[in-house]
Amino acid sequence: MSSHAIRAGTKQVRPILSTDRHEARQRVLNLYKAWYRQLPYIVKQYDIPKSVDSLKQKLREEFRKNDHLQDIRVIDMLVVKGQMELKETVNFWKQKGTFMSYFKDTVEPKPKDFLSKFLSGHN
Amino acid sequence: MLRTTLIKALNAAKLSPKHVSVVSRASSDVAKKPEKIEVFIDDQPVLVEPGTTVLQAAALIGIEIPRFCYHERLAVAGNCRMCLVEVEKSPKPVAACAMPVMKGWRIKTESEMTKKAREGVMEFLLVNHPLDCPICDQGGECDLQDQSMAFGSDRSRFTDIDFSGKRAVEDKDIGPLIKTIMTRCIHCTRCIRFASEVAGVDDLGTTGRGSGMEIGTYVQKFFLSELSGNVIDLCPVGALTSKPYSFTARPWEIRKIDSIDVLDAIGSNIVVSTRTGEVMRILPRTNEEINEEWLSDKARFAYDGLKRQRLVTPMLRGSDGELTPVDWETALLSVGKVLRNAGSSVGAIAGGLADAEALVALKDLLNRLGSEDLCTEHTFPMDGSGSDLRSNYLLNNKIAGAEDADFVLLIGTNPRFEAPLLNSRLRKAYVHKELDVALVGPKVDLTYEYDHLGDDPNVISEIASGKHPIAKKLKAAKKPLIILGADILQRPDGGALLAAVQSLAASTTPSEGWKVFNILHKVASQVAALDIGYTPGVDKIRENSPKVLFLLGADEAAIDKSDLPEGCFVIYQGHHGDQGAVIADAILPGAAYTEKQATYVNTEGRAQQTLQAVSPPGQAREDWKIIRALSEVIRVPLPYDNLNEIRCRLHDVAPHLTRYGEAENANYFKQAEELAKTAKSSNLSGSPIDVKIKELKDFYMTDAISRASPTMAKCVQAVLKQKQSKY
Amino acid sequence: MASLLLRSGALKKCPNLKWSIASLSTTSSRLSDDVSKAVKQKEAPQITHDTALLNPEEIEQRKRLQGYITVDAQSNVAPITGQPEEHVKGRLVRIYEPAKNAMQSGTDNTGHWEMDFDTRERWENPLMGWCSSGDPLSNMKVQFSSKEEAIRHCEKNGWEWYIQESSFEKPFKPKSYGVNFSWNKRTRVSTK
Repeated sequence: MSSHAIRAGTKQVRPILSTDRHEARQRVLNLYKAWYRQLPYIVKQYDIPKSVDSLKQKLREEFRKNDHLQDIRVIDMLVVKGQMELKETVNFWKQKGTFMSYFKDTVEPKPKDFLSKFLSGHN
Repeated sequence: MLRTTLIKALNAAKLSPKHVSVVSRASSDVAKKPEKIEVFIDDQPVLVEPGTTVLQAAALIGIEIPRFCYHERLAVAGNCRMCLVEVEKSPKPVAACAMPVMKGWRIKTESEMTKKAREGVMEFLLVNHPLDCPICDQGGECDLQDQSMAFGSDRSRFTDIDFSGKRAVEDKDIGPLIKTIMTRCIHCTRCIRFASEVAGVDDLGTTGRGSGMEIGTYVQKFFLSELSGNVIDLCPVGALTSKPYSFTARPWEIRKIDSIDVLDAIGSNIVVSTRTGEVMRILPRTNEEINEEWLSDKARFAYDGLKRQRLVTPMLRGSDGELTPVDWETALLSVGKVLRNAGSSVGAIAGGLADAEALVALKDLLNRLGSEDLCTEHTFPMDGSGSDLRSNYLLNNKIAGAEDADFVLLIGTNPRFEAPLLNSRLRKAYVHKELDVALVGPKVDLTYEYDHLGDDPNVISEIASGKHPIAKKLKAAKKPLIILGADILQRPDGGALLAAVQSLAASTTPSEGWKVFNILHKVASQVAALDIGYTPGVDKIRENSPKVLFLLGADEAAIDKSDLPEGCFVIYQGHHGDQGAVIADAILPGAAYTEKQATYVNTEGRAQQTLQAVSPPGQAREDWKIIRALSEVIRVPLPYDNLNEIRCRLHDVAPHLTRYGEAENANYFKQAEELAKTAKSSNLSGSPIDVKIKELKDFYMTDAISRASPTMAKCVQAVLKQKQSKY
Repeated sequence: MASLLLRSGALKKCPNLKWSIASLSTTSSRLSDDVSKAVKQKEAPQITHDTALLNPEEIEQRKRLQGYITVDAQSNVAPITGQPEEHVKGRLVRIYEPAKNAMQSGTDNTGHWEMDFDTRERWENPLMGWCSSGDPLSNMKVQFSSKEEAIRHCEKNGWEWYIQESSFEKPFKPKSYGVNFSWNKRTRVSTK
């Protein structure tokens, strides 16, 4: 049987960008604001069939996905990744299809309950 | 020099001995511990017992001396000379595998003389070795290839190739399993020693001398033993290879998955080798407590039965009486409807290859429907304590314990073909530790000599009362073993037999912690079914006449249509179209043992798990998942959705079922014996004790997978052909 | 030595080396004629332009970044590894010691721990007949030198793991060549 060892305790590590939660939070919020301000331009530039409101919703959703994280370094890395994505989007290095993959329109949702999983395939 | 993994390079400093633990056995009969001798191997001091060979002493500190003919489970031969090492102050190098160490010896395994010796030996071996590497099956996992790269010289001096050339030898036909290309043979004699010591069939030997020496059976004779496939592993070169596996795959493209063999009750550890989603071969995995390094032929070669006669789609019997393939939804809905209408009049029979997860899921489902009619195909006497006390139905002293016994009484079992790996242990004890064996039953060939006490069941009571001459030996033995076969417990007087043997076991005086009473099962699912709470024997089904019968891989035809009431709906869930599928009205295709992660309990009570190597073919699904889906369709959903949850349920039912690898000791022998005295049928019938598998030809096809295997069919044919020859 | 050069005026004679006089004039080596003493001369710290123009808060931030922060002992890097969530939550990792190849007697490929994932479906590609799989982690086999390392790695990546214990312990028994020729024991070998 597998077991998850719940190890209490902390460790001292070298920071990546921020040294405390407050700073990390500031970085996250700045990233959010940067994305938020770019959204109307994205709609215009990429000519995507989504409204700015739905983009705002998506943005909120993506940020909320990671709100449970505690490790400052992981938050910093995610902020860096977000900044990289923003840069690619702003500089038009992405294409419409690359950007639309955030919405997973074409991905068929996998069955979640037991019987559908059983009927659809081996896993 | 050679590419080593990063981990090895980083940890080079801490070279620790791999898997050789000097487990000093605290045996009470050793009066004083022998003085340890100190020797120096490559300037490292080692303390070893007197009598240890140089090779073993080096292995204790992690230095592996190259060898071809030495094998730790066979006798020492010392004929390959690859293990020559330099010992200081000795003019000649010393064969490390045969030479016992002396006090103060300084052994050098990397000196000039040693290296020259190795290069020289390698040169001689390669002189007459054919250039077969591209067409040899052993390529990639060949000892000769690896050792010539590591220890051989880089260039050849074989100028004779332009004159008389290399030696060539004819291939010998030793059976449908082993392919022999005797030109490649380096005469290490490992196969001969194995056949003679471990398998007990003295068929292989050498004829001729020098470069004319040939290894074979001399006369046209098949090497027919239930352990014959192990010589394929032993042969360091490609002289003996697996015939079914020949030319199919190379070792570097193989994916290896550890698993367990379920074709007999021993639960030998295997490695399933797959490539592109099909099973290519099955090799043994070392497990000191169960199968050591060996594997029986059925386990090794029956994998091609996994590709034939498979049930790949759910099927329903139409009104014309023919089975037609349908899709899962239709099948589940129709079966579900029948189950709902039947209410609590449902019965189930579990076959020999059913795993513990499927057994528990089926039991849960039927219990929720209100039925308790869950049976196994093989009977076990339920009088007295029956299957309530685990010690009644387990091999209590474990397979490894058979090695330490000093007297073994076999009653109604032919361990040679029912559990070949237990028999090899008994033979090991017979050869090395002077074990005496007595057998009550038909006279069979066990590969070692034993006292045949006849086949009259009254012999047991005679021994118990002390009248029989063997009773003295049994009483005097400090570690006696009584192994009772599961076959004779199927007789109507099985309960009385069990009681008699239990009282016999109770009358012996074993040493502390030694269990005398053991049962040897024949199928892999029996112990798990008894642990979970199935009723052994199909009599309950016959009495209760259910309206729906669920066969979980039941292929031994323990029950047929005539025993069932008119209009009984038979559902068969299994992986092969064998006898169970023939009488079924609905077929739900399940997964075989290589296709699911499942728990099996061997005859010692040790739970082990098989791992998924390939996915089930076609529409087949894992067994417990089919039962869970069925339960959801009939609206009594079972509370588990994934493997973890059903294993939690297994843990609830019987905690040992999830403790893989450990065999827990069962107790309460005294209580079991007293309860057994209240057996209903307290009289032993006079019918002689018989076993079902007497000869090798009955060994090969005992369950659905081996019956579907063409290799096993060829083996049976070979045995029959051999009977007609005069050798 | 520098003072000697300056005093001798030798450099003045080389027009291309005008800059060298200026740099020599401010080096600390000018202040002492003995080269070994010049080496021991402590110089003022060089302040580059980016550090010179910082605010005090920024300087403090930089100092803090040289230090340490406290995080949970159990780090979980699953969000940043880039693995899709279904392959983190839905996979089971087996940690085991690889078994020795039964066909060979060498043990160099054993003695370490490995980690691999549960097998997923493989099917025949309809176009070419090759073996296809939808499992990105089908070939993921990571090696470790100890069990604990493997467990730490799995915990860090958020995978569910279990250990497959192997029974490699073999009781040591000294082997002897002489028993092959025993007079009355069953170990007498019939095949010499």
